[in-house]
Parts: sequence; C-alpha cells; structure tokens
Amino acid sequence: MSAPVTGGPTPVAERPDRGTRARALLRDPVLVSGALAVLLWATAALISPSFASWGQVVTLLTLASFLGVIAIGQTLVIIAGGEGIDLSVGATATLAAIVASRYMDGANDNLPLSVLLALAAAAVVGVINACGVLFFRVPPLVMTLGMIAVVYGFIRLYTGGQPAGSAAPLLRTLINGDTVFGIPGVLWLWLALSVLVIWILRRTSFGWRLYAVGGNATTAYLSGVNPVAVKFSAYVLSSLFAGIGGLLLLGYSENVFLRLADPYMLPSVAATVIGGTALIGGVGGYLGTIIGAILLTVLDSFLRIVQIGGGEWGDAPRQIIYGAVLVVVLSAYGRQKRLRQ
Amino acid sequence: MDAPPFLRMSGVHKRYGGVTALAGADFAANAGTVHAVLGPNGSGKSTLLKVLTGVVAPDAGDVLLDGRPLRPKSPRDTLAAGVSAVYQELSLIEDFTVVDNLVLGVEPGRFGLRDARAARARALPWLERFAPAFGGRVPVDERVADLDPGERQVVEICKALVRDPRVLVLDEATASLRRRQVEVLFDVVGELRDQGVLVLFITHRLAEITALCDRATIMRGGTDVATVTVGEVPERELVELMSGTPAGAPGAAPAAERAAPEEGAAAPAVLLAVTDLAGPGLNGVSFTIRAGEVLGLGGLQGQGQSELLASLFGAARRTGGRVLLDGAPVHPRSPKQAVRAGLAYVPGNRGGQGLALGRPILENLALPSLGRRALLGVGLSRATEQAAARGVAARIGTTYGSLDDPVSTLSGGNQQKVVVGKWFPTEPVVVLMDDPAKGIDVGAKAEMFAVVRELAESGAAVIVGSSDDRELVEVCDRVLVLFEGRVVDEVQGDRLTEDTLIASAMHITQADVAAARTDDAASHLPDIDHDPVAAEQEQGT
Repeated sequence: MSAPVTGGPTPVAERPDRGTRARALLRDPVLVSGALAVLLWATAALISPSFASWGQVVTLLTLASFLGVIAIGQTLVIIAGGEGIDLSVGATATLAAIVASRYMDGANDNLPLSVLLALAAAAVVGVINACGVLFFRVPPLVMTLGMIAVVYGFIRLYTGGQPAGSAAPLLRTLINGDTVFGIPGVLWLWLALSVLVIWILRRTSFGWRLYAVGGNATTAYLSGVNPVAVKFSAYVLSSLFAGIGGLLLLGYSENVFLRLADPYMLPSVAATVIGGTALIGGVGGYLGTIIGAILLTVLDSFLRIVQIGGGEWGDAPRQIIYGAVLVVVLSAYGRQKRLRQ
Repeated sequence: MDAPPFLRMSGVHKRYGGVTALAGADFAANAGTVHAVLGPNGSGKSTLLKVLTGVVAPDAGDVLLDGRPLRPKSPRDTLAAGVSAVYQELSLIEDFTVVDNLVLGVEPGRFGLRDARAARARALPWLERFAPAFGGRVPVDERVADLDPGERQVVEICKALVRDPRVLVLDEATASLRRRQVEVLFDVVGELRDQGVLVLFITHRLAEITALCDRATIMRGGTDVATVTVGEVPERELVELMSGTPAGAPGAAPAAERAAPEEGAAAPAVLLAVTDLAGPGLNGVSFTIRAGEVLGLGGLQGQGQSELLASLFGAARRTGGRVLLDGAPVHPRSPKQAVRAGLAYVPGNRGGQGLALGRPILENLALPSLGRRALLGVGLSRATEQAAARGVAARIGTTYGSLDDPVSTLSGGNQQKVVVGKWFPTEPVVVLMDDPAKGIDVGAKAEMFAVVRELAESGAAVIVGSSDDRELVEVCDRVLVLFEGRVVDEVQGDRLTEDTLIASAMHITQADVAAARTDDAASHLPDIDHDPVAAEQEQGT
C-alpha cells in the first residue's frame, strides 16, 4: 500500500494564484491571531520598554501556559462537535489542585499518589459530563455549567471551606525551577503536552475520528465509527487536561484557594475559538489554541500596562474591557462560522 | 373546448444542477374537475406542481390562472391567488394546537391582535366536516404532536382547505391515510369539484385515479406525454403511457445480456440469506443473494427499501428474522459491528450521511478503514494514508486537486464516488446502496454504476435500492419489488424491464383493491390501512 501510485489520476492543475493565496492567509485564524498578539506585544513594549525584556516574555508565556493546558481539553470537546463545550474546566482544575494539595501537604512523599488522586477526581467530573451529555441528552452548555456548581459544592464539602495542605516542593521545582535562559519547567511541560496533543489530533485514528464525528456525526456513525465513544473520550480527556492544568497552577502558586482556576473558564473557550477551532465542530486544531492563549495573555498584560483600572476602582475596568473583548471576539468568529456553512 | 382553460402552464423548464426535472412541460386543466398528474418517479410531476405553488421558481415557462399570469415569488403569492397545496412532507408545527396550525399565516385579527373566536369560527367547519376521519371527534384544541400520522395528514389537508382555494393540489396526500380518512377526503373533493374548484391529484395508486379523477395528464422525462379522460382509457394503457418503454427498448437490453451467461456457468454459492426480516417499516422480508450479483430493490417510494438496507447494516432496529452471511448468522447492532462483519453502506444523502463535507478528501476516504492501517490501532502514518487514498481514487476514477482539499470542493458525482470508494480498503463482501445515484448527472451516474459492477465482479454481493426504475434495469441482475415492507415480486432475465417494474409496483395496489372489494362491498376504495408506527418511521427517516 505504501508504494506510490504512478498510474493515478493527475491532480487537477488548479493552483491558486497569488491573490487568492494571500487572501487565504488573511483568513487563516492562526496567522491572524499570531499577528495580533505580536502587534499588541509591540505596542505594549513601546509604552513600557521593560515589556520587551526576555524575563517579561518568559513570564508572559508562563502565564499563558496554564490557560493553554486547560484549553487543550476545551479544544478536543469543541472539535467533537454537537454543540460541544466544556465550561467546567475551571472548576475541574480547581478540584484537582485542591485534592492534590491536601494529599501532598507540602511534602514529596505522597507526590505520585496525590497526582493520581487529583487526576482521578478530574476524570470523574469528565465521566459525569459525558454521561449527562451523551446518555441523558443534556445540552453540553447546560450540563457543564451545572457541573461547575456541583464541583464547587463538592469542594466546599471536602474542604469545609478551608483548603488544606500545599504543593510538594518537587512539584514547585518542576514548575518554577529554572532550566536554561531562565525558562521555567512549566514551559517545557507545556511544550511536551502540545506535541502530544497535536500528534493525537493529526496522527492517530482517535484524532481523525474526532474530526469526522465533529464534521458529521451521522457519516461517522455510518462509516463504522462509534460517535458516542469518541465524544465520551473527548469529555474525559477534557477534564483530565483541566486536572493537569490545576496541578500546574498548584505548583506555581504553592497554595490553593477555592476559586483558583475560576478565571480560566471563558478564556479557555475564547483561546480555542480565536485559534480557529469552530464552535460547529470538526474544524481547527491545538496550534491555534496555543496562539489564542498567548494572545489573550498578552491582551490581559497590555491592559495592565496601560494602567486601565487601579486607583479607587481597583481591577474592575480592566475586567470589563477584557470581558467585552472576549464577547466581541467570540461573536465575530461565530459570524464567520455561519458564513462558512 | 372553446373557453380557455382555467389553469394553463406552458413551456415550463427547470434544471437542478445537471439534472433536468422539467423540459418544456405543458399543462392545462379546467375548473370544477379532479385532474390526476401521473408518472414514474423523477418524471417531473412534483416539480411541475411545485412551480405552480411557487415553491420552485422555473427557469422558463408561463403560468396562466383564470386568464391572469401568475409569477409567484413565494408560496405566499400563490396562496393569495387561491392555490393551496398539501404535500407528503408535513408543514405543521407540532407544539401548536390544531386550530393554531390551521389559521397559521391567515390569522384573523385586528391591529395585530389575534382574534381567537374568529380563528375557531374559520377552522371549525372543516374540522367538523372531517370528524369521521378523526374517529368522530373534533380535535380543535389538541396539540398536533398528540395526533397519529394519518390524523396529522388530515389536519394538513384542512389547513389547505381553510384558505378557501380555487386550486387545490394534493401531492400524494393519501399515502399515510387510513381508508376511512380517504373516504372522507374523496367526499370532500367531490363537493369541491361541484363548487368549481380545480383539484390536482398526484398519486401512485391507480385505483384512486379511476375512483376519483375526471382527467389525467401523464408525465415522463420532464414533459407531458398525454392528457386523457379517465374512464375512456383502460388502466393497462395508463401504465404503458407512464413507463413509455415498449418491450425491447435499449434500457432493457443489458440486463438480459448479463443474465444469459450465468445460466451456463455454475452458479456461485449463496452469500447472504435473509429470512423474515422484520423491524420498523419491514414486515418479513426474505431473499438470498449470491456473490458477484447486483440485486435491486424497486417498487413505489418508501415501501421499506431504505429500512431494509439500514436494518441489514445495523443502523435500524431489527425485531425479527435471521440473516446468514456465508452460512453464519450476523446480527449487527451498530454499523461498527456491520463493518467488522464485512458489510458496507452507501447512502444517497451524501452531504448528510455519506461525507464530512468540511473535512479533507483524504480523511473521508480513510475513515472506515482507519483501524486497519493504524500502528497498534492508534498511530497513523501520513504517507500510508495518502498512498491508500490515492489507490482508491485511481480505482474509482476521481479527479481532485489535492487530497487535503475539503471533499466539498469535488463535484457531486465525484463526491458520491468517494462515498463508494471509501469502502474499498475494508474489502466488503456485501455492499448496501440506498439510492446511490440520487442527484448526480447522467455521466457521473454511469461511472458510478461502473464502479458498482466492478465491486460485484470482484466477488462482492451488491444490493441497490433506487427510486429510478431505469437505473435498476440497467444495473441489476435481479430486482425485488417491495410493497409495505414485504417483497411482493421478483423480476429478472427477460422480464426485467421498466415496464414490468412499474406494472409490478402498481398492480399490487390493484390486487389490494380487489381484496378490499371482497372485504367490503360497499367501499370502492383501496385498502390502505397503514400501520401508524411504520408510517411514522417513514416520516422520521
């Protein structure tokens, strides 16, 4: 089968001319988002030159890595289609961090066990999400939104309102420790996870089936794929990656609090969509999500640099602008999706 | 004869992509008559009436109603002109009550406020008239969702009548009705005729034509062939006019040629044996098929052909019967299991069921056979996938720019070839095709059926369901005629002509008429008591 077919049909000679190719580049969400991120970063650097320093860039990417890891699962679930979305990633990440910190209790002895327990707790959330969406036909938006409340309720019960313990020293070293050029370990972890996810999406039968199910679930079903199994895996993987994100956050911040990963819920959706993964499913990939996560992090830092907020209003104006940008971006991409249909 | 006809349509042309639906059809009918429009599937009769009702805009042609030109931009305009239609596909809103559905779009009211009393006053007479069709009750305030399929069809008819039409179009409106409901409808149609309404009637049931219609226009290949007075022509002649192919026509030849050598050679063993297969829309289907054979499923539309294929493929529930593949029982509960057992399924609805349109050609071709090439069932190599896809594309003769282009960039014919070709790497032993040539042009159709024959010659058994009798004659070795979920006739060899297929599909209905007459001497109507569950299933698919 691997021998090249010489007698095959000659590909129709219809190369796009330069104009259409340029326009296609303009429409490539990954490139557009990347360009926007660089533009924002450059502007911020003009306003505040320290923004351009190597240390600041590394800090930016470190901040982006948590969003990036939490958005891995979001990307998978959205690609799987059927209005797939996982709003519970923030809560799940928090749950994993809280479970892990309690078992680590600031020591290395229980590190492997606590990681396993944290990921198991996250996986349970994924299984419940998947069951609700796939067997009880709850719309994913409603199901995962409801799960947020359930997970936080559970966290409250579990901790009695006061999270216990702290990160194991080894975990902290793994996340924050300098490797080369001041790059912390967490960035290498993010790189490794990214390579893994992109490989899963592009070079495994699960990845291809995921795109097929998202592109047209009926076709996939009639081609011998089990769409329920594929989507089930997507939801469980989403929670697992959210759990990993929670562990990274725990290592970074050393202590946990009840709303640790809360701020990642909407940005994880936005990073995915900005990166070109369409909410209709079957389109996109993780490379775009990486760019999306970086863009959103740059935007957040930019708003801090230009000192919107602060003073008597505190953080509020920055949050309002950030939220408004998310809504504008999401609706802009939503419109594009409709045109494409 | 002297006065111009009430309705005249002339030179109506309509093309859908590469398919010509109407090629200069003329049509005329008088007020106060019931006029049948007959023809085989794909003859253009439905399109002609959709032009009249404004659902379809013609490419050319004029419509004169009562001497005035009718150029509808939408069904709303034709409604205003007094043309009202009832289609097979229902247009009711399930969560609305019957009365709300009936007055939808013509709600009586003032200053934008609905007048509920006036609405009832308008809807009630018709519902009362049809009370026997609802089992004696008048379901004004019942939700449409709570009615059975036959009752919904009656509501649909009432909806057309509430609009006080001068022209009433009934497009297979009796298909899901019970006999009692048909009787009421026919009485009402008789009254409308006496009031000067023109009723246009599309049906496949010959008995209904002789019972109800005054005139009949026969359509074939997008044009009108003849207009006759019902009662002056024998039924047999009507059937002949519809099929249009006298014995020995070109279409009939290939089947006979193919059948001949098989008699001499030793027949290959039975590959698939189906016994008493039952399920939604299926009432005990039995047949066998040999390796290398192309078996057709014919008959009127919606008689269980699609359900049979879906059931064999594990995509529809099976409630009874046995299927033996190479002597071993197979009972797939999902397409996944069916694929593993060596079955393949080609749906006619390629956008909805056959392809993931936005995904690359490569992925579409690879999907059913991914597991076979994956390392440890997981890892894929791009080079291997591309080589496999190129091999398939060469076999099915698809031209493409790049395998990474979305499959939607291909022409309809090439898309359908991808739907067939994606099964090649799974090496299927039984290929199930549900109207595989729907909506592709003649050239692509021929190429696609060449692929089908190639599959059969390589030793697979191929089952083809089709709504086009000519297609069945050209492609199949043998055709089963289905009616109401049963096999009622088997046509092969010299008998395999379009003529026989049409007659076979129609005469069943006549046989039923005869049965109905002996059952119930008072009734002149065919027994078309549908199983409501089956009818609902049909509508669901």
